[in-house]
Amino acid sequence: MHHEETFTDRNVSEQSAYYYVDIESYPTTGWDKFKQVVKRTFSGELFVGLWVVMREMIKFDIHTVQYPLEKLPIGPRYRAVHKLLRLWESGYERCIGCGLCEKICISDCIRMDTKIDENSRKEVTEYSINLGRCIFCGYCAEVCPELAIVHGDRYENGSEQRAHFVIKDDMLTPLDMLKAGQQSEYPGFGAIIPGSDAAVKKTPLAY
Amino acid sequence: MINFTINGQPVSANKGETILQAARKAGFYIPTMCYLEKTTPCASCRLCVVETDKTEGLILSCQTPPTEGLGVIIDSDRLQTERTNIMRLYDVNHPLECGVCDKSGACDLQNKTLEFGVSAQHFSAKDQHRAIEHWGLINYDPSLCILCEKCVHVCNEIIGDDAIELQFGGYKSSVIPKNSDTLDCTFCGECIAVCPVGALVSSNFQYSANAWELTQIPATCVHCSAGCSLHYEVRHTSNALGGESKIYRVTNDFEHTTLCGAGRFGFDFDQQSEKDEAEFDKAVAALQNASAIRFSSMITNEEALILQRIKEKLGIKLYNEEARAYQSFMNAYSSVSGKAGFGGSLDAIKQSDGIIVVGGRISSDNPMVRYAMTTAARHNGAKVVYMHPIEDDLLQNVITQFVKYEVGTEEGVVAMLAKTLLENADIGDELQSYFKELDEGYLCAESNVGDEEYARILKTFARLKRKTLIIGSDLLNHKRAANIARLCAMIETHTEFSVVVVAPSVNTIGVSLICDLDADKGGEKVVGYNAPGDYTMGSFADSMLKLPSLNAQEGTFVSISHQVLPTNVAVAFNGYTLNDIANVFGIEAQYTIDYTAQLPRNRGFNGTKFDDLGNFFGTLGEDNRGYTLDNIDVEVSGSLEEVETLPEFNGSVVYRCNPINQFNGYTQKTSQLEKDTTLRGSSQFAAAAKIGDGDKIRIEFPQGTQERIFKLDPTLKGTIALVPAYDVGFGVLNEQYRFEKVKIMRMGSES
Ligand code: SF4
Ligand code: SF4
Ligand code: SF4
Ligand code: SF4
Ligand code: SF4
Ligand code: FES
Repeated sequence: MHHEETFTDRNVSEQSAYYYVDIESYPTTGWDKFKQVVKRTFSGELFVGLWVVMREMIKFDIHTVQYPLEKLPIGPRYRAVHKLLRLWESGYERCIGCGLCEKICISDCIRMDTKIDENSRKEVTEYSINLGRCIFCGYCAEVCPELAIVHGDRYENGSEQRAHFVIKDDMLTPLDMLKAGQQSEYPGFGAIIPGSDAAVKKTPLAY
Repeated sequence: MINFTINGQPVSANKGETILQAARKAGFYIPTMCYLEKTTPCASCRLCVVETDKTEGLILSCQTPPTEGLGVIIDSDRLQTERTNIMRLYDVNHPLECGVCDKSGACDLQNKTLEFGVSAQHFSAKDQHRAIEHWGLINYDPSLCILCEKCVHVCNEIIGDDAIELQFGGYKSSVIPKNSDTLDCTFCGECIAVCPVGALVSSNFQYSANAWELTQIPATCVHCSAGCSLHYEVRHTSNALGGESKIYRVTNDFEHTTLCGAGRFGFDFDQQSEKDEAEFDKAVAALQNASAIRFSSMITNEEALILQRIKEKLGIKLYNEEARAYQSFMNAYSSVSGKAGFGGSLDAIKQSDGIIVVGGRISSDNPMVRYAMTTAARHNGAKVVYMHPIEDDLLQNVITQFVKYEVGTEEGVVAMLAKTLLENADIGDELQSYFKELDEGYLCAESNVGDEEYARILKTFARLKRKTLIIGSDLLNHKRAANIARLCAMIETHTEFSVVVVAPSVNTIGVSLICDLDADKGGEKVVGYNAPGDYTMGSFADSMLKLPSLNAQEGTFVSISHQVLPTNVAVAFNGYTLNDIANVFGIEAQYTIDYTAQLPRNRGFNGTKFDDLGNFFGTLGEDNRGYTLDNIDVEVSGSLEEVETLPEFNGSVVYRCNPINQFNGYTQKTSQLEKDTTLRGSSQFAAAAKIGDGDKIRIEFPQGTQERIFKLDPTLKGTIALVPAYDVGFGVLNEQYRFEKVKIMRMGSES
């Protein structure tokens, strides 16, 4: 009857390639410590490192990502700053204001205001996440029944303040972007489980 | 006691108790969907079915009393199947709306659906469009309604409005307003409270917050002397609005308590303030120079005690005419009864089989007294006599005898009533001759109440067992209040009647017990606390020093049932409190509630600390709110005076009487309650005063004039019009006799 995901154990197994790093034991006596300092000071290790950098520079074969001009694509399951999505067909906001994300949020950083609109539907008037508190756990995206709140791909959230809010307008797909087909679905947290359709129970109809 | 067994275990039930009640008391769980402790069984859900060893079929435990030796089984495979099928039927086409529904998280249908594991729809029925109804403060969504009938039962049996009914039509059945297109009722909102699903909801609250986000603050309603138990449900607002805490709605423990509309919808009367030192110093200076403090009874016991201490310390006077009238009434009363307080209570009214109400418009003065009367009438078939100069449409389906007397003749009426009720009592020669010497002919003629009315009362009440006399607040401010009080006390002392005096404001009784009040002679330099004065402080917009309103304070009130009831802070207040001022004068306490334990023991308070007071009802309805005041013995010294010449009120007479759900300056501030400020009168009144519906009028009272609109009220009869008091000054109703001879002038028409 009810759907179950096959459980793959992600823990490292016993056969996996653990190996121990050979670490010299720490000096204990004063004399030994002194000897270590002298050895490190005069061994010229510093120049080894400098030489490597110099050598690579001259080769002009640099693999460094030119951040912030250049950004690496991130994995679909990466949990970056949230987005609120719209329905593709109608352009309505997907969020129905159920408040489950607000409830589940482990760091209590989601706040929302809802009201009844002219059509007797629930309307979300305010929605904010305090990214300064958010731990990007993904629970909100996971619990959302409407695939409305998802983790997007914007991971830059440096701020000069501890509290740092994103509000509805920051997260919601603008209508023009939606029309231009620029809203992306996120296959990460909270996305529909593969094979969900098959698990839906059909209700008998009386028509 | 009836002894029977549940699942083989011995259980006993009192006479009149049902199997369900006995089971609950003994800690057995029987699922129900339509059961409401305070009404007669709706018997519509059939979830409470049980098996017995004496019946073949299943029986409804909610409406069947056990018989001696009965063996009841409350869980079996058969019952489980039966109940699961019921839940499956409830869920057919039920909208999958929990995501937005107001009830989600506190919904009986959700709970029971999960309890019985209904995870799919097995039956089908053609769904149909059912429009959502907007009934003012209430919205109704028929597609969520499970037709349990709880709303209909409370409205009829507890409230007495009888405003809704079930329209039967198979799958199309729904709740509809009775005899009307739209809901026309007193908007107590009790139907919202009892609705087990999200079908009936508060239109103001709908979709604004989820049940689990709200913190319930147990408190006491501040609008009238019933002191109902309520929960302020509080949440932070969004960041855009500052994230402050705000009251989103008021709920009640609806299985055991009831609220009127003012309590349920009139909660947003708080005001904010920061600490304004300059103003604080001005307030202290004003008090230092003051000759008196004038205050209202919308005050906690603790603050009343602080005022009393300030009075003692500074040697100034305390004015509160409303409480003083109550105080002198009760002093006269106890001088005869020998007890500091009257003996009745709201519970006593509910349990009565006979009720007499004299001198007050109960339905607007104290809705809970009205509901208690309705309950008594519906559940015990109580006989209700209503004596008043004005008929009350709302009491119509409760009262069995209406006695109309002339305005001002209350002393004569009460004297005749006492004579009637004491006729067969053993009252001693002196009293007997007092009553014998009453000039019956004169009293009956002047008050316009024939002796056949009294004869009828005598006949009705002779056979009754649990009787209550309700004294309305008209009598408190009557010129002859003291003698009326003594007459009433005679009735309580010498008959089976218990008496309830309908005190006007939330803490009139508390103030009357705690403060030494002085006659308000006006004068210079009066500081007003939620009352007029040369310097004013309090919780109103024009108060000079802002003090917290009653939903931002902790403290206690004394209710009409003589319970000392705690209330708690629902919204934070950042300004000063009365206690801060008292501290300046060396009346030291860290918190206002430090005074709870110091409330005067010689007046019946028992010294319990605030933090030790409970404020909840047990699962079986045990009242764990505060404590009950001791009814102290006092010296019996009073004797009856002769009835004075009965006054006459001719010409235009108005009666100070608030519209339903309006009580005071607080209810006036709230956003949801209707604010009718018109003078309401009958066509007879209009004709006599030569005014018409919608006319702008000026009313000249002895104390001043008011300008209002006149509204023709088809439910009123007679020559007395109703004038509101909640919108005048601080909204005190009972500072003087409620009837007044006035001059009315037409100033033009509204349009
Ligand atoms: S990611 Fe986690 S912490 Fe952040 S808003 Fe969502 S639930 Fe809260
Ligand atoms: S869980 Fe999803 S639908 Fe519900 S309030 Fe949050 S974002 Fe909106
Ligand atoms: S009434 Fe209860 S079951 Fe129905 S939608 Fe509302 S919460 Fe869900
Ligand atoms: S409106 Fe609510 S209380 Fe009334 S019958 Fe429907 S479900 Fe029951
Ligand atoms: S106004 Fe009176 S009757 Fe109404 S809820 Fe408040 S205390 Fe109860
Ligand atoms: S509780 Fe008995 S029928 Fe509903």
